[in-house]
Amino acid sequence: MERTRFQSFALYAGLTVVCGILLFPIYWLFVTALSTLAEIRQLPPSFWPAEPQWSTFTKVASERPILLWLWNSALAAIGSVGLSMIVSVLAGYSLSRFSLRGGRSLGLFILTAKMLPATLLVIPLFGIFRSIGLIGSLWSLVLAHATLIIPFTTWMLKGYFDTIPRELEQAAMVDGCSPLGAMFRVVLPVATPGLAATALYAFVLSWADYAYARTFLTNAQGSWTANLGITTMKGEYVTDWNEISAAAAFIALPILLIYLFLERYLVGGLTAGAEK
Amino acid sequence: MSRRFLDLARPSRRHWLGYLLLLPAIALVALIIVYPLFVSLDLSFQKIGMATLNAPRKPFTLDNYRKLFSSPDFWNACWVTIKLVVVVSAACFAVGLGTALLVNNRFKGRTLARLFVALPWAVPEVIAVVIFAWIFDSSFGLMNWLFIKLGVTSQMINWFSEPTAAFWVVAITMIWKGYPFVSIMTLAGLQSIPEDFYNAAKVDGASALQRFWYITIPVLMPVLGVTLVLVMLWVFRDFSIIKVLTDGGPLKATQTLSIMTYDQAFGFFNMGYASAIGIVTLVLCVIASLLMLGRKSQAMY
Repeated sequence: MERTRFQSFALYAGLTVVCGILLFPIYWLFVTALSTLAEIRQLPPSFWPAEPQWSTFTKVASERPILLWLWNSALAAIGSVGLSMIVSVLAGYSLSRFSLRGGRSLGLFILTAKMLPATLLVIPLFGIFRSIGLIGSLWSLVLAHATLIIPFTTWMLKGYFDTIPRELEQAAMVDGCSPLGAMFRVVLPVATPGLAATALYAFVLSWADYAYARTFLTNAQGSWTANLGITTMKGEYVTDWNEISAAAAFIALPILLIYLFLERYLVGGLTAGAEK
Repeated sequence: MSRRFLDLARPSRRHWLGYLLLLPAIALVALIIVYPLFVSLDLSFQKIGMATLNAPRKPFTLDNYRKLFSSPDFWNACWVTIKLVVVVSAACFAVGLGTALLVNNRFKGRTLARLFVALPWAVPEVIAVVIFAWIFDSSFGLMNWLFIKLGVTSQMINWFSEPTAAFWVVAITMIWKGYPFVSIMTLAGLQSIPEDFYNAAKVDGASALQRFWYITIPVLMPVLGVTLVLVMLWVFRDFSIIKVLTDGGPLKATQTLSIMTYDQAFGFFNMGYASAIGIVTLVLCVIASLLMLGRKSQAMY
């Protein structure tokens, strides 16, 4: 479609304005983190720090166990993604390749699980975890996050397996592979990009959790995840917004980077299924 | 070798292996979703404070549900939830559709523009709350400065102690966090429309507006329907944004059903009552999505 010079100009101008407004909060987070306390308390506000205060980042990282929080978040994510992927790969493959009696209704049940409010499930899980002594341990998050992840990953993976032709396994089995061997040695390697995309999306789901971490880990400071840790800062440091912002930037960065560099995979996972 | 050996679809083979592969998922889902769900259903019919598995069962009672439906707090929470769902979903759609259509044009740098237009999607909810709590800070926040500068108000607004203001702060934070999902889904839907459709329509003399109305909208409709339900469900069930931003206050102006459930369970330790609210929330979610998607509900997945 041809555009006049004016239309191109209007398009770019519109884009700049829209992106400027929508992305301003992210910009403001980083600017606040780099400003001095005096700068963030002045009116009119300064939209660019006179001297970027990189030291706020090192200060926050040394005074607060942010790295521990990030590490805990990563552990919970790795554990829950690992657990969920193992069961979802097997289940997704089964739902894609075998037309089992009851398989479809089981699949639909897993899907309705997406509608479960976390605030409902957290109550019985708290009781159960308390009885078996998981409260305060990151293992509670591994299991609780699996309830968030499995309903998504099972169906995403089924979708990916559906796109891989069955002839591939059949050829492998002609060459003497067992059905299970065909799955592990032939189908899974081909599905690697899909597996990676699914795992990445699951990682983001786990990283974003606050409800479960707050409920199970509040009294166990050593197990705090990043999201839980930062909310405790918000409560106590009412005015030191530069430090809170620096901590928030640390926590936001991993997912922002994943998004910026691997957006294709993430979005592939997000839109999988909904387009059909 | 016979052909039958190779045939995955052969009934005897597909059954045991298929079920075997499903087994770990079934076991795990039964353990961490189905069983807890039954526990909470059971709890909702007991007058119970702190839930533990080894505690003796309390007698069956409908009191929790009776108390719930006669509680003004519950009806307030329903009203707040509905308001929030309507406001946030509508705004997410307006912004999300607008941005998607904007970056769907062909221009230099559009890959980058697409990436950036949906960037808030990658900001964790709790971090979005930190950002907006600071922007709406009552003493040094940017929004108060802007409002006074523009002459909207003459005095600093205390955003978090004024019920209407607090509701809007929550809504704006959720809109900012939720619109990128609509953009992403819309863009994916737009890409599935073949260029030929538009060319054919142009040959027939359709205007840009007509092309949008008669091609873009109908093709997008299924995707948008599913997206709408997902966005509404997200707002309906959201916990972290409201909990951290306003904690349901002031004066319960931002207390949704989710927040009420959580506060009853872990603030007042009325776990039986809290479970009843949670069960009602779940039933409302399921009914609402079934009504909206009808028989198409399977397309959602």
